[in-house]
Amino acid sequence: MAAIQFDIENENEWCPGCGNFAILAAMKKAFIAQGLEPRDLLIVSGIGQAGKTPHFMACNMLHGLHGRALPLATGAKIANHRLNIVVNSGDGDCYGEGGNHFLAAIRRNIDITLLVHNNKIYGLTKGQASPTTALGMKTEIQNRGTVSSPFNPVATALAAGAGFVAQGFSGNTEQLSELIVEAMSHKGFSMIDIYQPCVSFNKINTHLWYKERVFDLKEAGHDPLDYEKALQVAHMGAEKIPTGVIYKSQSPSFTDRLDVLKTKTLFEYGFDKLKMNDILGRG
Amino acid sequence: MIKDITILIAGAAGQGIQTIGTLLARVCHRAGLFIFSSDDFESRIRGGHSFHLLRIGTRPLVAPSLNIDILAAVNERDYEYHRERLGPKGIALINSDTKKTMESHAFYLPFDASAKAAGGMIASNTVAAGALLAIIGAKFKDFETVLKDNFRDKSEEVLKLNLKTGKQGYDIGRDIEFPKYFDFTGGRHGRVFMTGAKAAALGALAADCRFFSFYPMSPGTGIISNAAQYGNELPIVIEQAEDELAAINMAVGASFAGVRSLTATSGGGFCLMTEGLGLAAMTETPVVIVLAQRPGPATGLATRTAQADLLFSIYASQDEFPRFVFAPGSVLETFNTVKKAFYLSEKYQVPAIVLMDQFLADSAGTETGAFQTGHEHETFLDQETQMSQDQAYFRYKLTGSGISPRKVPCLSDALVRATGNEHSEEGLSSEDPRVRTAMVEKRFRKQVLMKDEMRMPLVFCEDSSFYLTGWGSTKGSIMEACLRLREEGIDVGWVIFEDIWPLDSHRLKTLLENKKLIMVEGNATCQLGSLIRQETGIDYVTRILKYDGRPFYPEYIIERAKQIMGK
Repeated sequence: MAAIQFDIENENEWCPGCGNFAILAAMKKAFIAQGLEPRDLLIVSGIGQAGKTPHFMACNMLHGLHGRALPLATGAKIANHRLNIVVNSGDGDCYGEGGNHFLAAIRRNIDITLLVHNNKIYGLTKGQASPTTALGMKTEIQNRGTVSSPFNPVATALAAGAGFVAQGFSGNTEQLSELIVEAMSHKGFSMIDIYQPCVSFNKINTHLWYKERVFDLKEAGHDPLDYEKALQVAHMGAEKIPTGVIYKSQSPSFTDRLDVLKTKTLFEYGFDKLKMNDILGRG
Repeated sequence: MIKDITILIAGAAGQGIQTIGTLLARVCHRAGLFIFSSDDFESRIRGGHSFHLLRIGTRPLVAPSLNIDILAAVNERDYEYHRERLGPKGIALINSDTKKTMESHAFYLPFDASAKAAGGMIASNTVAAGALLAIIGAKFKDFETVLKDNFRDKSEEVLKLNLKTGKQGYDIGRDIEFPKYFDFTGGRHGRVFMTGAKAAALGALAADCRFFSFYPMSPGTGIISNAAQYGNELPIVIEQAEDELAAINMAVGASFAGVRSLTATSGGGFCLMTEGLGLAAMTETPVVIVLAQRPGPATGLATRTAQADLLFSIYASQDEFPRFVFAPGSVLETFNTVKKAFYLSEKYQVPAIVLMDQFLADSAGTETGAFQTGHEHETFLDQETQMSQDQAYFRYKLTGSGISPRKVPCLSDALVRATGNEHSEEGLSSEDPRVRTAMVEKRFRKQVLMKDEMRMPLVFCEDSSFYLTGWGSTKGSIMEACLRLREEGIDVGWVIFEDIWPLDSHRLKTLLENKKLIMVEGNATCQLGSLIRQETGIDYVTRILKYDGRPFYPEYIIERAKQIMGK
């Protein structure tokens, strides 16, 4: 199988040099590694440059509203829990507009994989500060420097009880595709926050800036089963950026917890007219 | 002989006045009497002034009444609060352990003391129910049967206590004379007594709805809690979302994956759902939203009723797109309408909104018609799995009807691509003005066919001088007011809308031309009247509006109609 089967005749709208190209390549690579074909995948996305991702590959797609990709994906997963669902979201989409859904998806432990394209800036709306923009960073609107502290998605996910938390970097597609494979094979909610440069609007957190700071947690001997260590990793700050699986723990996923879905998907059930009429007869 | 009485049971929140009403209703229903009940309560869990209104009759009832025959007050202060509503020959039962003085029509009865003596204050409501049942002529063994059924899941002790207190109450009530008592001789019948909220839930289930997402909000929650009762019998998932934004998006997501879905809310929650409503429209994903109205704006009156979201539901969300809006007017019709909403929403791949309100959701009525499954559960999904090339499938294929074949994802090689962006036939974002124009027109082509699905309003009494005209939950009160006015020789008919949108202006104009309409609506701006004028050019003559958060009673409409007609 080759990446070509995921190709689609649709003009890619990202800026040349955007980190999204590498993320898309890593996704395709991860799907191929798992033997998945376009027909096996449902990609759900929100709004922003990340939200456009499924438009640039062959797959089933539900491209929804700003911030609402997770509830859409949750509904689809409940309807058919055999679907392989990957969500493409961005730092504004997931941590800003969709913050409440992010927390709720973790609590539900819904078995989907969330990829957050985190470039620490709003790209599609042309360069405003995002929830992960560094304190004091200047933008056209935040022209005296961003006033709020950056949101820490990994620490928040850990605190909320996420069962699979990883940090990726678009500059390391090899590692990123491995992380995506591992996240998708995790039974339950899995998230990968993916650092990526925004070549048009973030002149500080560039590809080179990341390159100088990232290190591989696996090589550093990090144990992703150790929650305390994971919390330390989440709070390492911006000067040394850990990538890899930060934390992993297994617990039954949302759909595993529902008896009605033990034998069949909700979609597969038939309509039992006799039973329904019996219920109606009882008044 | 035709008999028709109204009992008002008043108390504070948390004192179980609904329990008394339910016990009474069940005994009366078993005996073949007709019932209409409604609830009036405050947005609090304890205290305040609440009441349960129970109308019982020997013939079908469609509305509540303000002529109170029996006032049952759980506290003395409730008697003082409601006594002026009591009719001239009415009686009052007042729960009091100390006061003995009897006014000619007011009986101070020791409900609490009896229950306490029998072993538990908690059974005080059963004493009251026993007394009321004796007064209206019920047989004790019928009450006994209902109590046994009511407490079948409780311990032997609890049942014993309630049987004992029920008998005590019954014996107290036997000494009170009430001329309008019933015979209680009726036997088996196939009639159904249920609330509008339950009817909505059953309508969804009968249309094969399997996913319910919601965020709690009065008065919409009752629809979900009723559906939840069937979780052990039917393949359904009910998910309490983190907010209404999630609730509607989950419903859209589940529907996209092939499962019929419903969300229920009230106006405030629907405000949050409007963006999701637009997503359903743009992605052409079916979804049913039950909007149980309450007064607004903002929090408004949380537990009260209103009919002020009609135009909001027709226009909600940005830009323009076809949708269905229905407004059932009775319990049975709620069942049938929700069922139909699923069918039509899926057939046309558009969102459908069912307008209810607190009054309709919480009211219960005896229905003589049948609650049955029909064809509405049948799917329009294209479930063909043999698909050789994905290129062959276009989710938004331009068709003459505007309806494109709808497939579910991951079932075949056909890739299902849906997006909230304007899109090409294959479901990819497109900014091409020709594509945009073609897609807007495709979506609106469906509306032409949708109009044909809509029933015209019911018209009663052709050639009347005036027509009381309304929509939704006021149906019963308008009908009863109209009939009572006609009994007094006043020439009036009714026009009642149940299917609201899309509206076939041409057919409606033909129907309403030369009719003098008196609009009866639960809002301040006469929304349906405005809509009729906008769509047909026909203006109403005058209007009876009410926006105090309380339902329309027939008596109120009669009084106002007489003023208008100078009678």
